[in-house]
Amino acid sequence: MNDMQWAPIGSEPLPPPLPPTRVDFTGDRSAFRKMVTKGAMLELVTFGFYRFWLVTDIRRHLWSDTAIDGDAAEYTGRAKELLIGFLVALAILVPIYLAYFLVGIEFERWQGFASTPLFISFYAFGQFAIFRARRYRLTRTVWRGVRFWMDGSGWLYSFRAMAWGLLVFLTLGIALPWREASLERYKMQHTHYGDLRGDFEGDGWTFFKRGWWLWLLTPLALLFFPAAPFVYAEFKAREWRWWLDGIRIGGVSLSSQLPHNAFYGLYWKVIGWWLLLSVVYSAYVAGAIALAVKISGLPVAQALGPGNAAKSIPMLVMMVIGYFALALAVNIIMRVYLQRDLWAKVLETVEVHNIGAAADVRGSGELASALGEGFADGLDVAGF
Amino acid sequence: MSELSTEAPAQSGKPTIFFDGVSSRKRQVTLTLGDALEIAEEGGTPVSWVYADIRRADSPAGILRLASTSAPSLARLEIRDAALAADVTIRCMRLDEHQTSRRGVAKIVGWSMAAAVSIVCVVLFGVPLAADRLAPLVPKPIERRIGDASEVQVKTIFGSSGCEDPAGKAAFKKLVNRLRDAAGLDDDAMTAGVLPSAIPNAFALPGGKVFVLNALIDKAENPDELAGILAHELGHLKHHDNMRGLIYNGGTSFLIGLLFGDVTGSSAVIFASRSVVEASYSREAETAADTFAIDIMHALGRSPKPAAELMFRITGKEGGGLASILASHPLTEDRLARMTKEDRPASGPPLLTDTEWQALKGICGSGKI
Repeated sequence: MNDMQWAPIGSEPLPPPLPPTRVDFTGDRSAFRKMVTKGAMLELVTFGFYRFWLVTDIRRHLWSDTAIDGDAAEYTGRAKELLIGFLVALAILVPIYLAYFLVGIEFERWQGFASTPLFISFYAFGQFAIFRARRYRLTRTVWRGVRFWMDGSGWLYSFRAMAWGLLVFLTLGIALPWREASLERYKMQHTHYGDLRGDFEGDGWTFFKRGWWLWLLTPLALLFFPAAPFVYAEFKAREWRWWLDGIRIGGVSLSSQLPHNAFYGLYWKVIGWWLLLSVVYSAYVAGAIALAVKISGLPVAQALGPGNAAKSIPMLVMMVIGYFALALAVNIIMRVYLQRDLWAKVLETVEVHNIGAAADVRGSGELASALGEGFADGLDVAGF
Repeated sequence: MSELSTEAPAQSGKPTIFFDGVSSRKRQVTLTLGDALEIAEEGGTPVSWVYADIRRADSPAGILRLASTSAPSLARLEIRDAALAADVTIRCMRLDEHQTSRRGVAKIVGWSMAAAVSIVCVVLFGVPLAADRLAPLVPKPIERRIGDASEVQVKTIFGSSGCEDPAGKAAFKKLVNRLRDAAGLDDDAMTAGVLPSAIPNAFALPGGKVFVLNALIDKAENPDELAGILAHELGHLKHHDNMRGLIYNGGTSFLIGLLFGDVTGSSAVIFASRSVVEASYSREAETAADTFAIDIMHALGRSPKPAAELMFRITGKEGGGLASILASHPLTEDRLARMTKEDRPASGPPLLTDTEWQALKGICGSGKI
């Protein structure tokens, strides 16, 4: 059934289906770069609070420059929703952290380190947050004047994710494709576009066949560093392609011809920037130390030696400033390459089949609150 | 406004598309720019948008996408013809009213700064104050529960059997009791024990528990050296340093995490700033415990100096550079200098007899770690 879409078009005497339509991404790269640069700087001066606005701007940019069948999507979420969601999530998380602490003490009294498994409950909560954050993003995604929406239960999803996670752990990762297939099926079957219902037809076995040898190579990649980006890039490319091939919404289906080596360039560019920035930062730190030594007018060993703590404070300040600049640059690079470029690279390979099924869809579904995004932010599991 | 000329570009240029916000059907429409914007589909009911309600929606370059605050929230009008788009734009006075302006960004920056300043003030002044005030108020049973929990952890690390040589234990008890009486701690408020370990150290846990690791006793050359260190730990108990630290660390971690959020994408800044802030707080507590130890040793008529000498033998000279900003304890050489200043000739009887001291040294049995 999964192979139906690969049948050559027009080989049957039946009326030929419409040719697949493409997804076009027309976003201007330098505009995106300027946006994230400005955003990263504002994030610094606002101690990170600007992240809600930046993430909203990024999504608005990516969504509105993505056109399916000639019509661009739109992201209608706003930063204030995220901020409020974050504050509410915080108000809920604080008592949970406290309860976690108190329960932890009771467990520890019973047996040393018995509270360690409690940490897993935070992981479960993170999965819940991931599901709810996806619901928020989806209900803010509009195409042709109709929004996407989602039902389903975050806790059921979390339970699935945990159970499969245990299996993946026990099988040393072999079960990963089946976990992803199961979770994706749950997410897509509860995804709707107006009155069309989504589905996911990818199965774990297909994914496994495409990537099992990467699993064998993983220990090697962990030992031999330069191999790791290749293995990871191969894995991600296969995962994306398998995921896109499986997506259905009503009668509409997607397929992708994403080549297996699609991400080599992206990852190596990021690593290259990383190395360059590390060299620049090391040079900066060395320069700062040299300057501090010179100003103190003492021999090197004495200036850096004991008893000179007070004199090293300017040096510390210089290092912190350098660190912030480094964080800023890394932030920009990650967003340009791993969000914008990856988005563009994946989308240019996507084909949409039978888009006519979405020509007259009735809008439905309610807006979801941004609380899920708040949890995801508070627990540090936020995605796009 | 010339109403006659405005209809022409819609037909000549690229199509204008309307989505009514109820269905995803793509409607090709013609616009009439009258008193309001008239949107007419062939064979459909015309829709009219008041100019003042029209807002710009996100769109790719080359398309003007409009929404109206009085229409269904997802209704969209897409004008692809540049001339027509310009015509419509000049009529809509409040087109960009809802976008984040420069002033909006300045407001975000201003409020974030205010929030950051208030968080920093709370970390520097509020949390220490709260910790100092709250720690003595924590009910004894809760403190003991936390202490019990940490004791279980400690025993998991160092082995569950403490050192139990009877003569050694009696000597240890005598030493601890003399210090406790001088310190004015309640009888039932504290327990003390020796644990086998190769690490020379001693520590206090919440709920009045003091543990000495065996290697410290091995390294000590006389009872005064050990007594000074025990007195220091009693100082921690007396000042409720454990509970204070717990409240303080919990509070600062939370607030600093809140402050930085994920600005750096890693927790390095959080970790670094927490270490600096917490270390300075902990150094204060250690200095106070040293003061307490000095007072006790004086009250017993013994010198506090030997304890500092023992510490110095263990750690050596520490000092200097960045390490001293991050250190949780004052530098050993500074402590030695301070206790040397407080050195007085012994005026009281020795704390343990020679036999007792020898017994204490063998409390873990000979040959055991």
